Formats: sequence, structure tokens, C-alpha cells
Amino acid sequence: MTGPLIPMGYIPEAWNNVIAVLLGAGFGFTLEASGFSSSRKIMGTFYGYDFVVLRVFFTAAITALVGLMYFDYLGWADFSMMYVLPTYLTAAIVGGIIMGMGFAMGGYCPGTSFCAIAIGKIDALVFTTGLLIGIFAFSEAFPLVEKIYESGNLGSIKVSDSLGISDGVFTFILIIVALGMFFGATLVERKVKKVEY
Amino acid sequence: MNKQYLLLSAILILAGIGLMLTPKKSAVKELNPEQLLLAVDDPSRFLSTDLITERIIKKDPSLLLIDVRPAEQYKVFSLQGAVNIPLSLLFSEEAKTLLGQEGKEKVFFSNDDILADQAWQICKRIKMNDIFVMKGGVNFWFNTIMKDNPPNVTDDSKAQDLYTFRKAARQYFMGNTNQSQGNSSESEGKKEGVNVVKKTTSKSSGGGC
Repeated sequence: MTGPLIPMGYIPEAWNNVIAVLLGAGFGFTLEASGFSSSRKIMGTFYGYDFVVLRVFFTAAITALVGLMYFDYLGWADFSMMYVLPTYLTAAIVGGIIMGMGFAMGGYCPGTSFCAIAIGKIDALVFTTGLLIGIFAFSEAFPLVEKIYESGNLGSIKVSDSLGISDGVFTFILIIVALGMFFGATLVERKVKKVEY
Repeated sequence: MNKQYLLLSAILILAGIGLMLTPKKSAVKELNPEQLLLAVDDPSRFLSTDLITERIIKKDPSLLLIDVRPAEQYKVFSLQGAVNIPLSLLFSEEAKTLLGQEGKEKVFFSNDDILADQAWQICKRIKMNDIFVMKGGVNFWFNTIMKDNPPNVTDDSKAQDLYTFRKAARQYFMGNTNQSQGNSSESEGKKEGVNVVKKTTSKSSGGGC
């Protein structure tokens, strides 16, 4: 768990996995409730007939970001205690292209595929089988790709630090960008033929 | 457009404007001066050369020896298993990765206490934990462990035991020899390359969808 409660000692370390399971269950429930267990809905983002994926994930991101920023300002959470994943630029670009291709071909990302399996989707089962084969192949071929995996280490950087702006300004810009995308997505949806599924 | 969406958008924009107006906090969280003073005043950060020697011999996996001297000095001689992070490179990405390892006790050392203690204070100031200083540095280590300093016959058993331990340690580092004066042969300070452990993901959530 990356939250500040365990590192700051408010919750014992032993609860780490229990909380992870509960959060995972909540996350899965929200994905299913948002319709993310349908590959057609997810594919709507690529074809322009349904942008719910964009809306849900960006809304989640900006809501969490705004909430955390205010929690930090009020002293309820320590933003500096958050674990920021290190950025491996080359690995992120290569991995992003591969995952994007898989996403576009299969209609799922790893989380949503497991969510779809939970409600009995056969295409998700096939997708997840491929995913597990991919994990196995990657593990076995790791020595061959290790250099790419570890290249471009920029450390635990944040976009706001890279741009030299404050977190608050960056959050505001992100909100405007997100709202702009929501508005743009609505316009695209109106123009593209509705797909029934 | 739906009025609810407009209302939510307006709330988000107002929240964003509010965040822009909040004062910027310092990016680096530092230990407050009182805590730093207490920590500096606490001698428990110093580990003796005998304790370090014992842990090297036992190949303690939780021990991470960090030689903060310049690279040239490290190449000439260093403690077994030590990695080199010169003081000027303490905040390099590789050093951060190395120092960020959890479950390791990071022990700084230099020729004496000065550079090592500076490294300790810098790291302590940015709230780094599990950091120590080898008391006396390499010079003291060499003089106590590698040189033969027999106790007086009137000294107590503790001093005799310590001498026995140091003698055994000397044999461990130099091989089975009874030379009284330690010459800093290559076998004493076999160095290992910088063992950078990348991508420590003990706290990583994995993220994504």
C-alpha cells in the first residue's frame, strides 16, 4: 500500500495486505459498475462511440489529486510521504506501446480483464490467458530485455517538478485539460454513430 | 449540457483555483532543528570498528558499508564489501537507490570520522533512517584490526578477549599469517563493484488499471 497511513505508523504493517484486498475488491466493484467489464465499451474510446473510460479514469485521477492536495494542505495527510514510482523513460515508452497494442486488440487492460472474468466473459478469459503467457515469456526472456527495463531512470520525478511549476498550478491545469477533454469527447460522441451493445 | 455536469465542473475549477492560491510547501522535508540537534548529540550513531569487523566476517546481509571517500582512495583500499559513494555524489540517482534500500543498515566511513559524519548529517537531515558512522574510519580500523597491539599481561580478560578477536580477524583478512605488522596487501581490501539494486518496489502498488 502506498498510502501514508502505514508509513506514518497509524495502521500496523500487518494490515497492509488486508487493506490491499479490500481496496482491490472496491476497485473491481467500481470497474464493473462503470461498465468496464465490457470490451466493447472500452473499445469505444478507440472508435469514438463511447468515452466512458476516459471520463471515469480522468475523474478518478483529478478527484484523488484535488482531495490529496487539500488533505496535505490541512495537515491530514503528508503528500511527501507518498511513494512515487520511479520513471524509467525508455521502459515506459516501449511498455506503453506494447500495452497499448494489447489494449486495442483485446479490448481489456489487466484490471478490467480480471473484472470481466469474474462475471464470466469468455473473451476476457482468452485475454487473461494471453496475458499470463506474456508474463511468463517476459520473465523467461528478462535477461534479454533487462537493459531496456532499467534504462532511462529519471528517479521519482513529478510532472510539476519537471515543468518548474507548483503542484497547485499543475492540478489546476490538469482539471482544465480534463474538463476540456470531457467536453471534446461529448462532441465526438454526438458525431459518431451510436453502437448498441 | 447537463446542469449537474456544469455544476461539478464549476466545483472542480474552484477547487483548482483554491489549490493555486495555497502557499507552496518546501519540496524537501527536513528534520526540524531540535530533532537534528538531538540526533547529532546522540552517540549511538557511531559503530565501533570491532563491531563492523565482526559483521563483515559473519557476512551480515543487513550491513551496507558505504565508503564516502573519493573514488581514487576507494580504488587503493577499502573495507570488504563496501560500495563507493563519494560525498559529492550522495544525491545521485544511483546513490539514492542504494541508500533507499529498506532493511539495510547503512554505515558510512571515511579515513576518519569527518567525511562520514558529514554524510550522516546530510542524510539525517532529509529524514533518512538506519544510518550509522564507523567510529574512527579506515585509519582506526587499520590500526586496531590489522596491526598487532598486544595487551599488557596485567590487562583484564575483556582486553585479552578483544585482542584474540582482533588477531583472528586479522587472519581472516590477511590469510593465515602471523606477521605482526599489517601491510595493506590487495587481499585485505577486496572490493566489490557498486552493487546498485534497482527498482526497489517494496512499497510499490503497481498502479494502473
